[in-house]
Amino acid sequence: MSIKAVHLLFITLATLLALGFGVWCVQFQPAGNRALYVGLGAVSFAAAAGLVAYGVWFIRKLKREGML
Amino acid sequence: MTVEIPYGVQERPDTGLWNAKLGMWLFLASEVMLFGGLFASYATLRTYAPDWPKGSDFQNIPLGTFNTAVLITSSITMVMGWASLVMGQFGKFRLYMGLTLLLGVLFLGIKATEYRGKFEHYGVTLADGTVVTGHVESQDASRVVLLPDAKGGAAHEPMTLARSQIKRMIVFGPWYNTYLALYFTLTGLHALHLLAGVLVNLYLWGPGSRMWQREPERFTHRVECAGLFWHFVDLVWIFLFPILYLL
Amino acid sequence: MGFWRHYVFSTDHKMIGLQYLFTGLVFLLFGFSLMMLMRWQLAYPGKALPLIGSWFGESRMPGGVMLPEFYNQLGAMHGTIMVFLAVVPIAFGAFGNFVVPLQIGAPDMAFPKLNAASYWTYFVGGLIMFASFFVPGGAANSGWTSYAPLADIATMGQTVWLFGMVWLITSSLLGSVNLITTVVQCRAPGMTWMRLPFFVWTQLVTGFLLLLAFPPLESAAVMQLMDRLAGTSFFLPSGLVISGQMLKATAGGPDLLVGGGSPLLWQHLFWFLAHPEVYVLVLPAMGVVTEIIANNTRRPIMGYRALVFSAFAVGFMSFLVWAHHMYLTGMGTTMSTFFQTTTVIISIPSMVIMAMLVLSLWGGSIRFNTPMLFALAFLPMFGLGGLTGLPLAFGITDTYLHDTYYVIGHFHYVVAPGTIFAIFAGVYYWFPKASGRMMDETLGKVHFWGTLVCMNVIFFPMFIQGMAGISRRWYDGGATYDLAKNYLHLNAWMSWGAWVMALVQVAFIVNFFWSMKRGRKVSDNPWQATTLEWATPSPPPHGNFPAMPTVYRGAYEYSAPDCAEDFLPQHQPPASATMGATT
Repeated sequence: MSIKAVHLLFITLATLLALGFGVWCVQFQPAGNRALYVGLGAVSFAAAAGLVAYGVWFIRKLKREGML
Repeated sequence: MTVEIPYGVQERPDTGLWNAKLGMWLFLASEVMLFGGLFASYATLRTYAPDWPKGSDFQNIPLGTFNTAVLITSSITMVMGWASLVMGQFGKFRLYMGLTLLLGVLFLGIKATEYRGKFEHYGVTLADGTVVTGHVESQDASRVVLLPDAKGGAAHEPMTLARSQIKRMIVFGPWYNTYLALYFTLTGLHALHLLAGVLVNLYLWGPGSRMWQREPERFTHRVECAGLFWHFVDLVWIFLFPILYLL
Repeated sequence: MGFWRHYVFSTDHKMIGLQYLFTGLVFLLFGFSLMMLMRWQLAYPGKALPLIGSWFGESRMPGGVMLPEFYNQLGAMHGTIMVFLAVVPIAFGAFGNFVVPLQIGAPDMAFPKLNAASYWTYFVGGLIMFASFFVPGGAANSGWTSYAPLADIATMGQTVWLFGMVWLITSSLLGSVNLITTVVQCRAPGMTWMRLPFFVWTQLVTGFLLLLAFPPLESAAVMQLMDRLAGTSFFLPSGLVISGQMLKATAGGPDLLVGGGSPLLWQHLFWFLAHPEVYVLVLPAMGVVTEIIANNTRRPIMGYRALVFSAFAVGFMSFLVWAHHMYLTGMGTTMSTFFQTTTVIISIPSMVIMAMLVLSLWGGSIRFNTPMLFALAFLPMFGLGGLTGLPLAFGITDTYLHDTYYVIGHFHYVVAPGTIFAIFAGVYYWFPKASGRMMDETLGKVHFWGTLVCMNVIFFPMFIQGMAGISRRWYDGGATYDLAKNYLHLNAWMSWGAWVMALVQVAFIVNFFWSMKRGRKVSDNPWQATTLEWATPSPPPHGNFPAMPTVYRGAYEYSAPDCAEDFLPQHQPPASATMGATT
């Protein structure tokens, strides 16, 4: 397995982590500072979307450069 | 006199591998078992523990989240560095590898801050049996000024405690409880791995990069191996963060 | 090349293999010496050791009488040194390094510098282990298994032991990565998987065992270090009372121990390594014996494919049997049932290997030289070790036999007249390749017969003592226990067996060094063998083969029909090809 496949696996898991963390922030956050955690959750969901977009861009770039 | 070892750079046709890549994967397999042993110990100790603290009682979640983002970004710059070499752009490789290094060092710096925070943090049992946790603002022979942790958004002001009031005062070191013992062991081992990765990357960014002039393909292979290791270390963090900070 | 580059900081796999061999043999003798001291105390408890008793100082043997603490150090270090510093480095480090690249037709290991690093980390680990005898309180004394919580609260030697283990684990990690990569990547043209000598297969499986089984012990070692140095309680339960006092943490002041740890966790992590470790000891031995039996029966080995698949089955199953060391720990009968089942399953592939080796003797024209004698003796001795393991595999019989001398007898039949015989066989067999000279046959036979008799005198009475219920942990060999009184005389027999065996080893040591300088000079292929290591000069030059060999056939083409000689080397082109070349 080359670093390309490992990177895609890594981005997939990072996306799952971002989604999971988002859910945690909204549902299971520690007492107090609710606004902070809702904000963090929103950033986290955005990061998950960003990671998916990056993953797609990465695959396209590999194809464009003939590295896939 | 040196002996030419076959398939050091070229792929062996029937296995599709060059030697160092196989070696790195075998090494990573053993690393999986190393961290696997610790994760299994975490599961065992937590399963049999009568109660288990919440990670957020001990950790600064926003800081930990930021550190996670730093590490994920560093994986992206690492793979970009490697891709630049494959496309023959050595200058871009230096840029991306430099970024990876900075992000790695930033992660370790934040980690060190977290560690220092733990060692300024105390669990104090008072004479009447109540337990207060918080940062020590200052202390001398007769009294301790403690800034208690904010619980439930309540306003918190420094408490001045006479030594005679205090039955027991323990810093948040690995001996505080089994959760912190696991926290220090797991993140300590992870930080050592990251430090090793930083040193390797530093070599490949600096003096080691001279190899690009002589043997570009071998140098690209080296960066790929370092990248595999870097990804593995980051992947471990993706598992460490939820089990130590969130669950 | 200067002396230092050639002999010390070499990256040549053959020189590194020899470094492993010499260091390993020294540790083998050292570990044996520790046991000989213990055998004095077991045979003559409380009596002063004559002549050398005063050498050990007042803290260890006041007036020549061994202290219990020193006895415990000797026991723990005997196990540690024999397993981690002697047998594995010889069976895997020495033979694997020296023979495997030659047998697969490679110029060197895949990573020569890593190979040197692996030897030197092993060497440092060995030095640390040796030095641990001289720290306050002496060496580790909680047994080679370092069971918690005993090891957590033991003297400083245990900390040194843990640091030593980290070095040894690193060494075996580097070595196994290197060996697996070499076998996968550096095989010569034509050396397909099913043409590999069986020895290479066993080394490959061993490499995987070391690679995957050792790291959990490393994580356990890290946690035990934290327990000892950072005041954590990974392996310390709540409310532990020692000498009438609640245990306090070692670090962070009094009254801080949190407890809540699990002593069983250590045992699980330890045996997760240490059961595969048994197969690390045994598989290379089986490989060596296979090579020698094939060569000296002058016939193809029986069931080559069955051997290969069995080796893999053994390797895989060895990860699923570890808790059969723990039936009596209270881990529960469901767990015991699972591990009894897997333990019985693993005996099937082991038995297939043994059966194939015995059947390989059938119809052979056997040459009874020294390596073959050791290889032949391996079969019944290892067989005895394996069969006596069956009662230990079942919880119901193990309840009685657990922790008795029966277990010691069983394990030592597997490893001492088992693996160590294979090691001797391998040394006699590959000596001419490494030196270009033969070892002396007469001294070799003295060594073989003396060792064979002594091994049985030492280990067979252990079965009798064990079945009588004598515990392996008694420092006086049972002298103060009523149940042992009819079996005490066996202790002296076993001890004298050990001391006479030490004398017999002189024949080996003399033979080894004398033959290096004065042994009979031989051709490149003195055993008329088929495998590739004999297709190169003895000793092989740096880079091994003058020209890259090509392999045309399987590893054991002995007594092939329509062939002038009774062996057909792997690298010899087929008859039609030679004719094509000459015409």
